[in-house]
Amino acid sequence: MRKIVSLVLMVCCFMTMHAQYPGYKTVEDLGKFRELFSATAKATQTIKSDFVQEKELSLLSEKIVSKGKFWFKKENKVRMEYQQPFQYLMIMNQNSIYIKDGSKENKISTRSNKLFQQVNQITVDCIRGTVLNNPDYKVRVFESSQGFLMELAPSSKALRDFFKNINIFVSKKDYSVTKLELLEQSGDKTVISYQNKEMNTNLPDALFTFK
Amino acid sequence: MRYLLLSSCFLFVTSCVSSYKTLQRTDGDASCLQKFRPAFTTSIYSTQVDILANHLSGLLVIKKMPDSSVRMVFTSEMGLSLFDFEFSADGKFTVHHIISKMDKRAVKKTLQKDLELILMHGLDTQCPSILRDSGRIYYAFPQEKGSNYYITDLDCKELIGIEKASKRKPIVQVVMKNYVNGVPDTIGIRHTKFKFTIGLKRLER
Repeated sequence: MRKIVSLVLMVCCFMTMHAQYPGYKTVEDLGKFRELFSATAKATQTIKSDFVQEKELSLLSEKIVSKGKFWFKKENKVRMEYQQPFQYLMIMNQNSIYIKDGSKENKISTRSNKLFQQVNQITVDCIRGTVLNNPDYKVRVFESSQGFLMELAPSSKALRDFFKNINIFVSKKDYSVTKLELLEQSGDKTVISYQNKEMNTNLPDALFTFK
Repeated sequence: MRYLLLSSCFLFVTSCVSSYKTLQRTDGDASCLQKFRPAFTTSIYSTQVDILANHLSGLLVIKKMPDSSVRMVFTSEMGLSLFDFEFSADGKFTVHHIISKMDKRAVKKTLQKDLELILMHGLDTQCPSILRDSGRIYYAFPQEKGSNYYITDLDCKELIGIEKASKRKPIVQVVMKNYVNGVPDTIGIRHTKFKFTIGLKRLER
């Protein structure tokens, strides 16, 4: 009886490991993935793309969808502009974050708000390819036929208060980030998909300044 | 633009209300307030919160559940949930989730009481005193401390405002305007004793 129970437990564990991300298996050679991901990031000077954000709440049958545009310029300038169904602008530049939500403008220094800085640093780290080196997260990497999935589990309690995992989906085609998933402890999640990407076009610095 | 209109509504409510002592008792039928109770099914509001020197924004999802309770979930624009409250039909309040920075008794209590004003619970089960001044009717529903006043025009055709009040003066003022299919398009909540305002504008889906 004990042997049967142990066998069943082993089978369940095996199935759980592979069912966690259906279609994905653990990457054995993390070094090679890290190398290719970082190389792509190093070659990326700018990114301009559209994004679609879908928020799934357990109490709603339909997702809350918002759309906007995203810009990145090396080393760490980010502009994220929500355009539908509300207007919300976030600009990250050096150690400052500027937010304009409808009527109000707010400038936050990340030096004085470590948590804010940690949460937003992920966006920059993904694009720069340094996410695998970020000590704020424990990283596991999985692979499918189409791409990679980097699972980031927050190390600090403060970050865990906001979310359980961040999953980053990377294309095998060009090693660029195609999607971010922010999974909350409650089971709710936010998915941001990047579309119509234009790489290494000329982006003026004015896009990342606070007016 | 809608937030400008909201602030002017608060001025309109406060300019004419200095004290409840001068109000006179009158006859009336409080059942006329039922039509102003928001008939939420699922509504999403773009939300702006100003508290003391801080500003916060996000989306407030209000959903009526199959058991007639109402859930309110506040998330940032970037999708992170800040709180998830449940208001049951019998008055029970449940916190399903709240981030640790907001997980303080005073914060939860204030948000609970403020958001309950929007729901307009208790109209059926309580018997209000009905008062008036020259241009308005005040339906006063007694609370544990003070009263909640629902203020309408003389014909009860317009909800001018809601006030959570002490014996003498308003502590929290609420305006709900531009009803579409029984749901206000614009909601404002303002505290009078300290700087705390919540502005809600319904998103079209």
